[in-house]
Amino acid sequence: MNKHPEDQSARMLETFDNLVADKYPAKEFKYVGQKVPRRIDGLAKASGQAEYTMDVQLPGMLYMRLLMSPYAHAKILKMDTSRAEKLPGVRYILRWDDPEVMKSEIIGKTAGFFGIDRALGGAAHMEGELVGAAIAADTEQIAEEALSLLDIEWEERPFMLDPVAASEPGTPLTFPERYIDGNHWNRGAYDELLHGDMKKGFAEADKVVEFTIKRTANTWVGPERPCGVWKWNGDYAEVWLKHQRVHLSKSRISEWFGGIPMSKIEVHSPYQGASFGGWSQIDWNLGPLYCAALVSKRTGRPVKYVFTRREDFFGGSMDEGTYQVKVGFKNDGTITAVEAVLYHVNAIWPVFSPVLHLHDNTRIKNLRGQCKCVWVNKGHTVPTRCEMLPPVLTFTLVMDRVAAELGMDPMEVAFKNDGAMGHDMEWLNNEKKQRGFPVRDSLKECIDIGKAEFKWDESWHKPGARKLPTGRLHGVGFTWTHEWEDSSGGSEFAIRVERTDGTLSLLAQGADNGVDAEGAYCQIAADELGFRLEDVNYNPHQYRGFYRMTPDSSTNMSVNGWSVRHASRILKNQILEYASNPSSASQRGSFQPAFPDTKPEDLDIKDSVIFLKSDPTRRMSIADFVRLAGESGPFSTDEFLGTRVGWSEPLFALGYHTQYGAYNPANPRPRFCRQAHFMEIEVDTETGEIFVTRVVNVNDVGKVINRMSCEGQQYGGSIMGVSRAKYEEVVHDPVTGVILNGNLLDYKISTIKDMGPINTQLVETGMGYGPYGLIGIGEDIATVVPGLLAPAVYNAIGKWIYDFPITPSRVLKALGKE
Amino acid sequence: MKEFKHFNAYTTDEAVALLGRYGDRACVIAGGTDLLGKMKDAILPAYPEALVNIKTIPGLSYIKESDGMLAIGALTLLSDIAQSSLIRSRYFALAEAAARTASPHIRNMGTIAGNLCQDIRCWYYRNQNNRFSCLRKKGGRCYAIKGDNRYHSIFGGSVSGGCFAVHPSDAAPALIAMDAKIKTSSRTIDVADFFEVKPIKTTVLKPDEIVTEIQVPAPSANTKSYFLKFALRKSIDFPIVNCAVRVTFEGEKVSNARICLNAVHVVPYRAVEAEKAVIGKKINEAVAEEAGKAAVAAAKPLEHNKYMVAVARTLVKRALLACAGS
Amino acid sequence: MTKEIKKFECPYCGETLGSQDDLKGHVFKTHKGRGLPTPEGRIKLTVNKAEFTFQVEPNWTLYYLIHDKIGLTGAKQFCDRGACGSCTMIVDGKPVLSCMMLAIECDGKNVETVEGIASDGHPLIESYVKNHAMQCGYCTPGFVVASKALLDGNTDPTEEEIMEALSGNLCRCSTYPQHPIAVKEAAAKLRAAK
Repeated sequence: MNKHPEDQSARMLETFDNLVADKYPAKEFKYVGQKVPRRIDGLAKASGQAEYTMDVQLPGMLYMRLLMSPYAHAKILKMDTSRAEKLPGVRYILRWDDPEVMKSEIIGKTAGFFGIDRALGGAAHMEGELVGAAIAADTEQIAEEALSLLDIEWEERPFMLDPVAASEPGTPLTFPERYIDGNHWNRGAYDELLHGDMKKGFAEADKVVEFTIKRTANTWVGPERPCGVWKWNGDYAEVWLKHQRVHLSKSRISEWFGGIPMSKIEVHSPYQGASFGGWSQIDWNLGPLYCAALVSKRTGRPVKYVFTRREDFFGGSMDEGTYQVKVGFKNDGTITAVEAVLYHVNAIWPVFSPVLHLHDNTRIKNLRGQCKCVWVNKGHTVPTRCEMLPPVLTFTLVMDRVAAELGMDPMEVAFKNDGAMGHDMEWLNNEKKQRGFPVRDSLKECIDIGKAEFKWDESWHKPGARKLPTGRLHGVGFTWTHEWEDSSGGSEFAIRVERTDGTLSLLAQGADNGVDAEGAYCQIAADELGFRLEDVNYNPHQYRGFYRMTPDSSTNMSVNGWSVRHASRILKNQILEYASNPSSASQRGSFQPAFPDTKPEDLDIKDSVIFLKSDPTRRMSIADFVRLAGESGPFSTDEFLGTRVGWSEPLFALGYHTQYGAYNPANPRPRFCRQAHFMEIEVDTETGEIFVTRVVNVNDVGKVINRMSCEGQQYGGSIMGVSRAKYEEVVHDPVTGVILNGNLLDYKISTIKDMGPINTQLVETGMGYGPYGLIGIGEDIATVVPGLLAPAVYNAIGKWIYDFPITPSRVLKALGKE
Repeated sequence: MKEFKHFNAYTTDEAVALLGRYGDRACVIAGGTDLLGKMKDAILPAYPEALVNIKTIPGLSYIKESDGMLAIGALTLLSDIAQSSLIRSRYFALAEAAARTASPHIRNMGTIAGNLCQDIRCWYYRNQNNRFSCLRKKGGRCYAIKGDNRYHSIFGGSVSGGCFAVHPSDAAPALIAMDAKIKTSSRTIDVADFFEVKPIKTTVLKPDEIVTEIQVPAPSANTKSYFLKFALRKSIDFPIVNCAVRVTFEGEKVSNARICLNAVHVVPYRAVEAEKAVIGKKINEAVAEEAGKAAVAAAKPLEHNKYMVAVARTLVKRALLACAGS
Repeated sequence: MTKEIKKFECPYCGETLGSQDDLKGHVFKTHKGRGLPTPEGRIKLTVNKAEFTFQVEPNWTLYYLIHDKIGLTGAKQFCDRGACGSCTMIVDGKPVLSCMMLAIECDGKNVETVEGIASDGHPLIESYVKNHAMQCGYCTPGFVVASKALLDGNTDPTEEEIMEALSGNLCRCSTYPQHPIAVKEAAAKLRAAK
């Protein structure tokens, strides 16, 4: 097997050190890096034929809706369902105190909502939480009406919305069920990152500034709301689920009802109307699924549950909170110390320090970041494109504040501080060399390209100094950080050469949410195997049983890219082996090889044709190769009345890969790749309105695979980022805690008219940990761009606004014009 | 949505009769873009028992100018008004208001009369399942006063009830600025008198009365009109503040002015002081600025909507300057 | 002015009967050879050039009829309140929001959905695919329908006109920059085909 020096299959079996550069990259690429149309999902999506879980309808299906709490914090004391039961068309009402619901404590094991590990709770800790009852009826409308007929006695409790206030001793508990052993004053997880000597660091500074950032709640707004369908086929479970992590869902389901074997669970993962992380990171969606499973069992009918748009506002992005920042720096722009405390609202994960990015890609030696998670009566916050929002926001505002204080070009400040983990660029360059990467200055390359594209030198000016003929104030901003992708985990990918026509089928579970990762995998397989791209296909929305890391948009291209590549190389070996010497793999008899008197290393594949390298006129298409029929060929597909079965040798390979995460404490990944972003705005000083007129994104992705998909993450991320910075906030009524804008009119996301053009640039330094030196992109831009609005506003009006979203009201206030 | 009865009315009389039979238990449905949203969210204490569809009444969709008057049928679509070259050229503020309303889809469904009759926009009033049974629903109080009132009235609450919810129409201030009249199945009244603030009522229409025509007097010579809308997004959004202005010039000086703001008060707000401030003057930056200040002199902003005062002032100024051609 | 609304009134002779069945009997007996009056909620609808007759409930939206009852699931529900455009259909030549229209009010109307546009081979489909004018794809049918409506009336739209026509369609993945490119390409193909 290990005949070829570039053979990767052997590598898979080694102890894998994946923090070094790709030792065996491919030499030539035909499809990788190119612009290719959306071959896999484009036609289905554009023609309206793509099926989503929301579209699923099964015969006899019941529709289930759950009860929404009208209170921010309340317990159900009594619930009378008699009126609801009488409504014609109501088929089942599942109560929270049903014995089987009460014992569903395995729901939410890894990341349960608020620690209530049950499918349906009896107390609500946010307004709009789904508690108390799940009603299944013949139509959604009947289920909805039945909910309004429930007679419930609520015990209202005091609630808190602000994290700083809620963490003070003596405040009401926002979640008393969690603190059964006494008071922790609503404090949740705590994370601290501490490096160096803070006292020394601030003492060394020429200047120290402090500021406080406030980021209000904002959320994912996934177009398709949470939904799912459960059907029992005897004791087999068949599930349609909108969830980014199919494997997580399946493993959870396998723990239910005393345990369902994984091999008896079929999970359909149709196309998904985007989650952006959101609630797919947690088991929230599985609570209603559990209820659907129960109701389905008790009624004998398939059950579908659907959240309304209002109900999709049950949680938000993991950047909501108050950030208290202190930064010390020298007059030359070197930052000596940063200290930050983040009062983090309802973060459901072990949280990330607000100074994480300052740690990851600078030479700053003294850093302290504390993340104090506080529970308030709102939805939980989860990674929402992405969990790096807090450290990135802190990073941008620290860097740009320092530049502003010194009147320096922010890019100079960037270069002064670029590095990694407290080390400077010399150290970092040495790391690149040691690990076999090219030694390139990613930040400089990104900045050089970005500056030129943006025309920074003509655009930048002193704060508040440029008034346009329209009367508006012009401003520009810049920010940077490392290009990250933190895939950590394992992945397996199988590839099969189809018997009849020699096309390739990529087999792995699917959870498509739009990034066209599937297209990228096909590009990799096509180039590795030498097939035409049109001969490589991947059916993206069926669960094939081969575990693949999802969601891809969380930059899992590395891990999955590796396993596609491993599988491709093994398969290529196999094909060439069988082309030259089929009897080495055959079970009976010997067959005339397709390429007699050759060795596998004499052959190659190009454009789906196997050929002899020394004499390319000796060639055979893969299609012909697999069609060698009858007893004369090893890949025969002949079956004749079962009496004389043709030979069947499968051309099939499985690749797998494991990748360490970035935060492996034993061996963290030094960050080599960078990204840089530029924004131009105009501020109407009489109304406070901000117009984002131009954006330039520069991302060093190491190696581009699916070029148009990468660009899509750039402009898509920019528009989402600007939307988050300008408009997005979940508004709670201060008096009742009720969400006031749980709809798409009052919670605003950008329309097509709301932004100027976006110029996307991709850099390929090859310094990523993925195959061919790639690194991910999906999370990055949408996470970095929101903070960029603040320095742009500062450059326009000469005032810092640290309250997000930066609304006209806040601009006018900063200008003293309210 | 819950169940309801549905009737197609084929004549105005039929519509009136049906509405008369049901009283306030029935609603008129024209474009339906406001009503269906209310019904889906079940915002009101009582759900309509019946809908009376008036789209089936023929002859209520037209735009014609004759005898010194522009007549627009009640069912005329906003998109038709926005694209009408007649209205664009001679009644610009109205065309612009229609063009800036909502989204292209809604403009293809929404009617001019429906736009005037639409319900208030207040996120307490509109919270689903009648979560806040406020003053406008015959409840106890206005929840915006102590709540989040960033989009509410800057000119105080309604006189009778203390409601602070704003009227969201873009077309209304344009029509008021043009001294339009509304003809119903039983009378003709000034647009300015069409609006009122009562529980579950934004207009003076009786339960069995429907709008049939909008009448706009033809502008006199040397008259310009303008419309500006301030919203967070460039499409779909309701106005946070809008402003319609009509100015008649004698030479370079203003002989007649109408300035109407909306989304700033419980009903469209005619800025009479601002109008006075420009009469007899040439509109320049300073004069327009003064008018803007005068328009908001009586403002009583709430805790979260002070910015709306600055915006309203600015829109008045800019609309006047636009009429003056700068 | 107040005219009594007679529900079970014979359309041929004006006689009022007590129930639908009585009315049926009357028409059959007295007006042999004539059709029965249409019961309430009976609508005729042309969908993608195919003629349908439906019995609909008053509270059914056009979206519900097309998506759930006929099973043309292309149109999607993103907001279900008329604020996002994902349910866009072309009704009598105009792009409208099907989730905010009552099916019972669509009698005699002509509806085009994304499926019809695709099966007609409209060049928009190919240009959307080529230009990655979709990511998760949930809002895509709404955009395709709104674009098609634009191109029906405007054979050479400018970028501004395209943006205006699509200004009521929300895309969370924010594929916006690709739509004017795709629409212009499709427009050029249509012009070339003439």
